[in-house]
Amino acid sequence: MALNPFFLQGTQSEQRLVQDIINEHLRFHGVEVTYIPRKFVNKKTVIEEVQSSKFDDNFAIEAYVNTYDGYGGAGDILTKFGVSIRDELILTISKERFEDFIAPFMAGIDDGTEDSELPTPTRPREGDLVYFPLGQRLFEVKFVEHEDPFFQLGKNYVYQLKCELFEYEDEIIDTTIPEIDTQVQEEGIISTLKLIGIGRTALATAIIQGTESSGYVREIFLDNDGSGYTSIPTIGFTTSPTNQTGDTPEAIGILTTKGGVTSIEKILLINAGAGYTVAPTITISGGGGTGAAATCSIVTTGQGVIRYTITDSGVGFGTAPVVTVTAPPSSGISSTAVGIASIGRDSGGDNILKAIFVEDTGRGYSSAPTVTIADPETLSGLGTYIFNEVIVGERSKTEARVKEWDQDTRILKVSNVSIGSTQLGFFPGETIKGKDSGAEYPMLSFIQDDIYNEYTENDIFESEADDILDFSESNPFGTF
Amino acid sequence: MLGTYYYHEIVRKTIISFGTLFNDIHVRHQDKGGNDISDLKVPLAYGPVQKFLARLEQQAELNRAVQINLPRMSFEMTSISYDSTRKSSLVQTFKACSDGSKVKKVFMPVPYNIGFQLNILSKLNDDSLQILEQILPVFQPHFNLTIDLIESIGEKRDIPIILESVSFQDDYEGSFDTRRALIHTLNFTAKTYLFGPIADSSDGLIRKVQVDLYADTNRQTARREMRYTVEPVAKEDKNDDGVVDAEDTPLLMPGDNFGFDEEWQFLGDSKKYSPTQQKDI
Repeated sequence: MALNPFFLQGTQSEQRLVQDIINEHLRFHGVEVTYIPRKFVNKKTVIEEVQSSKFDDNFAIEAYVNTYDGYGGAGDILTKFGVSIRDELILTISKERFEDFIAPFMAGIDDGTEDSELPTPTRPREGDLVYFPLGQRLFEVKFVEHEDPFFQLGKNYVYQLKCELFEYEDEIIDTTIPEIDTQVQEEGIISTLKLIGIGRTALATAIIQGTESSGYVREIFLDNDGSGYTSIPTIGFTTSPTNQTGDTPEAIGILTTKGGVTSIEKILLINAGAGYTVAPTITISGGGGTGAAATCSIVTTGQGVIRYTITDSGVGFGTAPVVTVTAPPSSGISSTAVGIASIGRDSGGDNILKAIFVEDTGRGYSSAPTVTIADPETLSGLGTYIFNEVIVGERSKTEARVKEWDQDTRILKVSNVSIGSTQLGFFPGETIKGKDSGAEYPMLSFIQDDIYNEYTENDIFESEADDILDFSESNPFGTF
Repeated sequence: MLGTYYYHEIVRKTIISFGTLFNDIHVRHQDKGGNDISDLKVPLAYGPVQKFLARLEQQAELNRAVQINLPRMSFEMTSISYDSTRKSSLVQTFKACSDGSKVKKVFMPVPYNIGFQLNILSKLNDDSLQILEQILPVFQPHFNLTIDLIESIGEKRDIPIILESVSFQDDYEGSFDTRRALIHTLNFTAKTYLFGPIADSSDGLIRKVQVDLYADTNRQTARREMRYTVEPVAKEDKNDDGVVDAEDTPLLMPGDNFGFDEEWQFLGDSKKYSPTQQKDI
């Protein structure tokens, strides 16, 4: 039986009127939410999953909150995986408003490039996000109901978006709306880089032996590097015949570890002493090691650099700077002094020049030579890192993704350290470059441990196990 | 009857050791070209937690924008059971000395199996498989951990961690109103030992051995022929004075690398050594 032709089941004008009333109602009583479509960066076949996603667009739309007396779902619960917030939300949006003001733009986003795949752009899609500003929460659309209410006057006018709080993994959320983007800034494992802002060149002067008949130690030869050192050994010299203050040399041992064995790499002079007629005997003691032995040569005629005095410690050194000493006059027997810089932290946590050791005093100087210390890696860091951009270490080639950058404290928080690399972290002193922003700062220190995520105990297990586990071979799962 | 207080924290140490195995597992994601674009270290925690502490720490600001951060792993102890197959006599004791002074008398430990359950919650099946394939090949079906169960006696024991079973739950069917839950569960058994009280023995550490030799078994009438004395001698600079000498020897610890001084002394007398007076009488 056909329908009664004298009764209309909804004319276009009636349907139009209903849609207009709904639109108006939503704009009066709704909440302005932000609709964020998901872009598929990589979809896995066979195991059908979108492995990588990007959310970098935003569309404002008015929505009516169906669950007006609170969120639905199970609420905040404690699971074996920590606190999980199972809030749910049902939002009603106008079908017409979506199709007129969001769908055309979504269709335009998909330009066929690799990271812009956006299937089915004509309707709200499961998997997209909705930012709910009242609770400052990111909801994921689980299901789009398009037939409730059911064909009023022969047409459907609204979409119901059934949403659940988003499960965050490593998706890039970069909508350009700071209120939204910052919501996931501290989610995931976050490492911290302390960068160097403004560097300053250090200054130093050289002190040469004051008399022609000097008798200072010129160079130390390490005859046996020993083994088993756990701390810096003490280097002793037989007392200078003159027995004056400062005439007996002082030196420091520099340790190196290879293949689990720590030995002395070299011995550097702090002060070359004076008054010797024959080379003093060197004793190496303490430090927990054995077997090291060294001898030295002395200079009894001519002057050389016996020590260095730092007049300005500079700031911002990532690695020890090169020290250059001017050559002595070319007449007679002469050779240029060699100094080795050592850096360390000051009370404010900045790396400064701590000392310059004498590796070779040189000889043939008639006056104190000029000492030039190389500039810090970057005298002034440049630029501002951008949220979500990839940074790369200049020497380590380690990459990571920016979570937060504080220009004042020069703290850079990053996630995803070591993207695509087996390198475990950044090297102190290397320049950290932002791939998109071009920002460049040298790095002072790198803390890989997450100090923000309250669930993660990875680092705690590692440090607690140091005292009780004996991985005399190696941990098959790696150590950090 | 029971009442001597002792607590070696062996179960806690076993939990820490178990957790250390899985605290550096990563998951990587690629773009369409196969280039890595993210590297996630998988968070791990011991599951059971005080409820108010979980709320205060993990949800300190009440509002959280997302439900949870994935993937993540948790583990918990599920059972403690006696292992009769490793039973040894309870009255049997051994002596240990880790501080170089007093010898400690230790009863043989009691073998216990501790069951662990490791759970992997992930958003993607591929993430779970990446995690599983980093874990499973190492257990054949066990992996030995050497754990310093009791520091005071320096007792390091090999504790096999045995992978008993792997199961998973993937609720992908059903209404779109429910979310897919993807949980892999790995059950392990750690074969550990529980120690009873450890008492300081009245015996000191033996630092000298002296033997008098007789040519006849009748010690009443026989004359001593020879005396053999042996003492440990330091081969390392124990007091950090730059030289290895006699002053280093008293500082020797049982685990150190040391040599021996041997001495043969011809006696040929009728005296006897008195251990109480520590001289020949």
